[in-house]
Amino acid sequence: PWRKLLWIKQDYPDDHVDDTFLDELQKNVNVRAYDYWTVVMESTVISQHISSIVIFIAVFIDLFWGRLSAQNLIISGTVLTIIGYIFWDKSISKTDPAYEYKRWKTAKGAVLFFVTLLGLSPILKTLTKDTSSDTIWALTVILFLANMLFHDYGSENRTNIKFPGSLSTNAAIFASVLLASRLEVNSHVFGLMLFAVEWFALFPIFRRYTKSLSAKFNVALTCILFILATTLFLYISNVIAIIYVLGIIFITFACPYWLIWIQKYKNEIHGPWDEARPKLQPPNE
Amino acid sequence: MVSDFFYPNMGGVEGHLYQLSLMLTQRGHKVIIITHSYGNRTGVRYLTNGLKVYYVPHMVIYSEATLPTIYGFFPIFRNIVLRERINIVHGHQAFSSLCHEAILHARTMGMRVCFTDHSLFGFADASSILMNKVLKFTLSDIDHVICVSNTSKENTVLRAALTPQMVSVIPNAVVASQFKPDPSAQDKNFITIVVASRLVYRKGMDLLVAVIPRICKAEPKVRFIIGGDGPKRIDLEQMREKNLLHDRVEFLGPVMHHEVHSVLTKGHIFLNTSLTEAFCIGMVEAACCGLLVVSTKVGGVPEVLPRHMIIFSKPEEEDLVNAVLKAIKMIRLKEAVPTKFHDEIKEMYSWSNVAERTEKVYDKIWKLKTPPLMERLRRYYGCGIWAGKIFCIVMAVDYLFWRFLEWLFPTDEIDIAPAFPYQKYRKVINNMTVEMIFFFNS
Repeated sequence: PWRKLLWIKQDYPDDHVDDTFLDELQKNVNVRAYDYWTVVMESTVISQHISSIVIFIAVFIDLFWGRLSAQNLIISGTVLTIIGYIFWDKSISKTDPAYEYKRWKTAKGAVLFFVTLLGLSPILKTLTKDTSSDTIWALTVILFLANMLFHDYGSENRTNIKFPGSLSTNAAIFASVLLASRLEVNSHVFGLMLFAVEWFALFPIFRRYTKSLSAKFNVALTCILFILATTLFLYISNVIAIIYVLGIIFITFACPYWLIWIQKYKNEIHGPWDEARPKLQPPNE
Repeated sequence: MVSDFFYPNMGGVEGHLYQLSLMLTQRGHKVIIITHSYGNRTGVRYLTNGLKVYYVPHMVIYSEATLPTIYGFFPIFRNIVLRERINIVHGHQAFSSLCHEAILHARTMGMRVCFTDHSLFGFADASSILMNKVLKFTLSDIDHVICVSNTSKENTVLRAALTPQMVSVIPNAVVASQFKPDPSAQDKNFITIVVASRLVYRKGMDLLVAVIPRICKAEPKVRFIIGGDGPKRIDLEQMREKNLLHDRVEFLGPVMHHEVHSVLTKGHIFLNTSLTEAFCIGMVEAACCGLLVVSTKVGGVPEVLPRHMIIFSKPEEEDLVNAVLKAIKMIRLKEAVPTKFHDEIKEMYSWSNVAERTEKVYDKIWKLKTPPLMERLRRYYGCGIWAGKIFCIVMAVDYLFWRFLEWLFPTDEIDIAPAFPYQKYRKVINNMTVEMIFFFNS
């Protein structure tokens, strides 16, 4: 019988096609069937992030037009952050007993940061005095897009990411600096910057944590953010609010259905010709 | 024979082209090679046995592959093919754009075409998808395909959607006389493990970096010789620094083709850690020199050597370490006698056998009829929803261009090149050799 070897002289002609041809072909091994509601639940991460960007823009516009006072913003932002921190602390100390001493360090760091930002706000206010507003708006849009695209939406699989999560956070902070420099009063600049740091750096950690904690809380958070964003924008522009609502509905309900529908066109081929993935043991030291 | 890759570039494809052409010339066929110019080397050159090589001036874009202009190559190709009175065009290597263009033009001119593929491709990443589409285009209208291993045949059939009956499996070979074992070159005190390959990710350099310190720690009387160069050399040197293995690991840098034999004979074991390999001629050369081979079981590797010459392992660090330690033990206990391998390999792989099988392929395609234009258009049309139409347009323009060239440079105005008188040449050389032996003996 024909053997799949090259070093023996067989009686079969060179173009012989054996019955075992393409035996080792594996089709669609890695494809799994998605459940609609699971995908919808997973998509809440994306809608939460988009809502948070929209809320931030709404806050900026309100500050810019003087509808929101800086003190309200600072106080509410700080209070919410402290509540969130206490919540996080209680849960972390259950799992990690060595967390106790870090509290003092965190408090020190927070106060230091607060004071530094307070000192830097006059500089930030005049940062883009020579740049026209149009450039600022355009740059901000691009940066928020970058933030949205490169944000770390996954929760477990951190090793596959080619660009670091810091890219999105940096883009967001840069955008908020640009926006803050358009404001007139020092306290406004400080308020927006403080809010920006809390919103773009600390809030994603909180969101990621609640997602892993409980599904119901996650859905509740998504709904709260959605309602907040819609109401804030209704006072600014009806059109944007409607586009936003439609967009969120599309992402949450239509996109999962689309994804599941096109799975049937998936044609994945694996076989002995694939480049092997070397399995290395993790280094000991 | 058409390919981008030929002498003075050194490699598997180049060696294959050269040896096959020599053997075919010896069997009485007329072979010419068309490739692109290498630096100042343009025009017509003659190599051993009167092998005529046309170095066509063409722009090189990356790693000796030329810029695909599709129609730019046609006039000079037509001229060469007509003056040499070529019947069959044989293209090599999917990466070579010269090969794809030559096949298209040869088909337009009504000649027989054949293609040989030397590497394996995946299906998932962007470059593979593009490459496979181009291959599908070229192989829609071809007479026969040759692959170097059965795994390569399966891979090519899937990539280009061919009927498997159109693909032959003809393996590569080695020139056994160039790779004779030399026990005197081996070190008596140490067991030497030789690694000779391009130092790139594809050749499993990460595995090598992980495996060398562990083996050196487990076996004190083992040393490594690493020949070749590439981007991963830095990782290997870092590994050497970190583990203080300066006396155990030696780097030779890029090794010239004629030096490979001397490097191989220094060793007892040949280690190949590739992640994917269609045929791996390096292993056969090593076994021919009398080394025991340890290799990862990927691609076409399981088909190449018999069980007593090679030890397989999975592409995993743990398994590879075990395989190498087993090989070392076998060498120490003299369970394997690698010096006998040379005679066995001489029987298994020889270029004359490859040439004979290739000749059979040529005979087969010579009997086929060239399909009419409508049939060709139909074949190209089936390549895909958008691609089929684009390919048809490309092919139609090619046909019109050919008609135009036929009018501008008529066939009867092209001089026929005199063929190299191979038989007379051989007779003269033989007579000269006989005379010289006579002269020195008397």
